[in-house]
Amino acid sequence: MQPTTAEELAATIRSGERNAVDTVDAAFARIDEVDGSVGAFLELWRDEATERAAEIDSRRDEGLHLGPLAGVPTALKDNLSLAGHELNCGSRILAGYRAPYTAGAVERLVAADAVPIGRVNMDEFAMGSSCENSALATTRNPWNLAMAPGGSSGGSAAAVAAAEVPLALGSDTGGSIRQPAAFCGVVGVKPTYGRVSRYGLVAFASSLDQIGPLGRNVRDAALALGAIAGPDARDSTCSEEPVCDFLKPIEDGIEGLKVGTIREVRTSALEGDAARGFEQALEALARCGAELVEVSVPLIETAVATYYVLANSEASANLARFDGSRYGHRAANARSLGEMYTGSRSEGFGPEVKRRIILGTFALSSGYYDAYYGRAARIAGALRQQFAEAFEQAELLVTPTSPSGAFKLGERVDDPLAMYLSDVFTTPTSLAGIPGISVPCGLDSRGLPLGLQILARPFADATALRAARAFERETGFECRPEPVQ
Amino acid sequence: MSLGVEEVRRIAELARLRISAREETTFASQLSEIVDYIDQLREFDDGTASLEEAEVASDATDNDLPRPTDLEDSALLDQFLDNAPASLDRFLLVPQVKATPGGDD
Repeated sequence: MQPTTAEELAATIRSGERNAVDTVDAAFARIDEVDGSVGAFLELWRDEATERAAEIDSRRDEGLHLGPLAGVPTALKDNLSLAGHELNCGSRILAGYRAPYTAGAVERLVAADAVPIGRVNMDEFAMGSSCENSALATTRNPWNLAMAPGGSSGGSAAAVAAAEVPLALGSDTGGSIRQPAAFCGVVGVKPTYGRVSRYGLVAFASSLDQIGPLGRNVRDAALALGAIAGPDARDSTCSEEPVCDFLKPIEDGIEGLKVGTIREVRTSALEGDAARGFEQALEALARCGAELVEVSVPLIETAVATYYVLANSEASANLARFDGSRYGHRAANARSLGEMYTGSRSEGFGPEVKRRIILGTFALSSGYYDAYYGRAARIAGALRQQFAEAFEQAELLVTPTSPSGAFKLGERVDDPLAMYLSDVFTTPTSLAGIPGISVPCGLDSRGLPLGLQILARPFADATALRAARAFERETGFECRPEPVQ
Repeated sequence: MSLGVEEVRRIAELARLRISAREETTFASQLSEIVDYIDQLREFDDGTASLEEAEVASDATDNDLPRPTDLEDSALLDQFLDNAPASLDRFLLVPQVKATPGGDD
């Protein structure tokens, strides 16, 4: 039997057919059963979640209104603040840190009556594509426990795929929601930049970071996005653009809609049978009535290089705040401020974070600034322009989410560049600030999921969701990973 | 371009990071490979657009809105101080800031 969807859970809790407390209990029981092998969760908030669920049940019993996510157990990525709870961002440097306030997106989630039940693993400071850069735990892909779940929101994707929770929040800077969603066979949404408040999200690269939902199907992801989207005065980059109802038009189909493939996305560069998976996805879109057209985005080839310069430049500045003075780890016995800074950072950060800070510092340093940061910023501007032109010829664009299905744990840890290249199709979207959804498009010959990425114009998140739903209906993918059945 | 061990050490110092001799060697080779890859951007950059024209992605959606600056009380001081490695009354405690003769700062 397929696990119940977030939408159905909320509806039955609202109607009284089901209790929120039982629902939360069932989630904890499932986690106790399978998380020993999956390793998605870093911490469970059993008491608080049960109390919150009981409060939801009693409000229902009093005849009060319940929100659209009533009683839905939800996992939070370890970089999202929930007041009073520990948050480590996958790093030793934030050991013991307790969030003094709740993130804007999490506030909205709770206002919609979802129940946060715990925090899930991630690559340290969201830097990674396999979750292996976490200093805290190893997360495994529920489809094959020897495989990486993807990253950086690997814990979010694995928890949803293993049916531990119907919903999770993640964050995406260069593919960190979409790539793990693809690897784990779930739906992941990176909304338009500015659609969701980033207040209370630990910053990695502020011009690119965006919070989004992961769910087992498109409707659940749309429901969750509707709950967390909207303006927030505490994040100046959060848009005032009104939030539309993502669910209302979601079943309308894509008959006659122009869907573009990108000429420069060469299927010959795809690994294994990812190319066949993508071709079959295009056939499914055609069966849905989409009119397939080909567009050109020549600079898409530069995206990984451009992204790694811009994101790491921003990261080197953002992570300067972790110096041992105000929170997190402080090196013992430092005799001067400088020793405290250097000691705390050197002891607290893992190798990938150090590598990226060094790369970002290099790109911003005197003598190299224009050749690296300046050049990358110019190319990102031109890339964005090319996307805008492509969207004059097509309503949506599609690419594979990743060049391959999940890779083995350990396979790429010593080769950072190979790890970065798994973001080849997700980084362009991030640089352009446009929405991108990864929706499962079948299994490769190893039995591991593949993802189709659907891109839309800024703030056309609803159109991308509608296409993802039509595609999902057509292909009928079921997320049933054998090792956790 | 390739990054040597010396260069990696110098940049790490700028970033307030101390790395071991072994890490210096590993990082130099990994970062050289990454910077080589990044150098492909040269052929795509005609250098004509100014940095001001090439806004970062956050401007793509034209939503970087200024808002009025209103002073609000923050009741969070205690929680912030709870996270501090060391504090006294309402202040953070840190090692001596003033430079000492012969000191590294």
